[in-house]
Amino acid sequence: MSTGRGGAGKSTFVALASRYLHPPKLLIDLDPDESLAGMLGIDLKGKGVKTISGALYDVIEENKGAGRTGYNLLSEVPQAVLYRGTGLDFIALGTKFTVGCYCAPDAVLKDFIPTLVKDYDEVLVDSPAGLEHFNRKVVVDIDDLFVVLDPSEKSIKHIERVKNITRELKVGYSHLYLIGNYRFTGETEEYLRSAGEAYLGKIDYDPNVKRYNLEGRSLLELPEDSPAALSVERILVKAGYMITDGSLTGESRQKTARS
Amino acid sequence: MARKIVSTGRGGAGKSTFVALVSKYLKPPTLLVDLDPDLSLADMIGFDFRREGKKTLCEALYDVIEKRKSNISPTITTHELMESLLWSDCLYEGKKMDLISLGTKFTEGCLCAPDELLRKAIPKLAKNYANMLVDSPAGVEHLNRNIASDIDDLFVLCDPSDKSLKHIARIKEIIKQVGISYGHFYLVANHECTEEAEGYLQNTGETYLGKIDYDARLEQYNLEGKSLLELPEGSAASLSVRGILTKAGYQIGS
Repeated sequence: MSTGRGGAGKSTFVALASRYLHPPKLLIDLDPDESLAGMLGIDLKGKGVKTISGALYDVIEENKGAGRTGYNLLSEVPQAVLYRGTGLDFIALGTKFTVGCYCAPDAVLKDFIPTLVKDYDEVLVDSPAGLEHFNRKVVVDIDDLFVVLDPSEKSIKHIERVKNITRELKVGYSHLYLIGNYRFTGETEEYLRSAGEAYLGKIDYDPNVKRYNLEGRSLLELPEDSPAALSVERILVKAGYMITDGSLTGESRQKTARS
Repeated sequence: MARKIVSTGRGGAGKSTFVALVSKYLKPPTLLVDLDPDLSLADMIGFDFRREGKKTLCEALYDVIEKRKSNISPTITTHELMESLLWSDCLYEGKKMDLISLGTKFTEGCLCAPDELLRKAIPKLAKNYANMLVDSPAGVEHLNRNIASDIDDLFVLCDPSDKSLKHIARIKEIIKQVGISYGHFYLVANHECTEEAEGYLQNTGETYLGKIDYDARLEQYNLEGKSLLELPEGSAASLSVRGILTKAGYQIGS
């Protein structure tokens, strides 16, 4: 799972990490602002796939007057929401256009996740900015929690908050890893090295990432020598991942961590 | 009734920075409302809740809930109690402006309860101020929750990405469907926007007010946790915000 403050680079990290993970893999976008699909070149509408929020409120709408409400409808939601790509499936919480919070769509997703994850080797979750997703315990049993950070004192405080909130709420994880975004300098990286957590390195500046994001192009099409993609590869290797070569064909190859 | 100003946008677009800088230019008394559970606005303007003996809304609410558990026959509802605590314990009174913060919640469940308290309190609070400036959490959920529904000026902070443009369209749709009213809908670009990216913002059909210029000093202040209220008047970011507010028709003293 990738988490962090707004704008730190959570979705960029997830999109790039997805290149290196072994299929079959599933990406989950917990952010109602749903930007991950666009970053991966996934067109849900074009494929007739709904978001969780979209499907949920469609089901509720269709059943108004049918005397069925609330939770007993939720089991009907998951069928229309899984996007199946080549080696990479995708599911998004999605925006809702009615008054109220995202507790209901989050609850649907939470119930769905344990069944869903059985079909995959790797499940990669992109969080909305901030902490509320932890309070909701949408995903509880995390192997690797990557906290993506920007260079500010707020980031350092954010790390503490993540640790407190996961402890208080018993959101379990095996590893907590820190990742710096491209705005870190050699000097500011020191703050992360001395934060007392496993710091895996920073994502290097990559003008192509900016350009692709501005034009709405898929980050999966970034060239293989893209500095940002290579940084993510390095970070995953440090975290002990067996990775693929990052090309779209996904040939396996083993790398050893450089210390 | 205070003028209600809301800053919103995607994560990292610069919402809190914008709020901190705008706050200096507003006619007092000003109330700042921080809806972000990651609690960063207070840090950015040098407000120390602990030192002042103040609580965030979440802290006060969950203290009350804890106390009620050991009280056999409470004579007052949690909500009633919170209404008074909001003023006595949660309102941080600064020299030039006051602040109420939602704060982080360390128990399971969403932030609907504290958000709802704040939603009900906002019209009452607004009566006591000339300006009420709301800093939103990243994303869209606060809009769905309709916390500040009767907005005068809505500022959308934008980073240079296609996602920003999609975000603008998305929040307009949510605002319409949820029934949030606003007087003005303004776009503001953050310092990362190039001329090309600004071009995209100018062509959205919304009112684009300009960008916040890059300010090395501001980055330094954020890194060190220094109050942005102490940024010198001539700093690039401050000047940009001043220009943006002037364009939006705000009267700014010298």
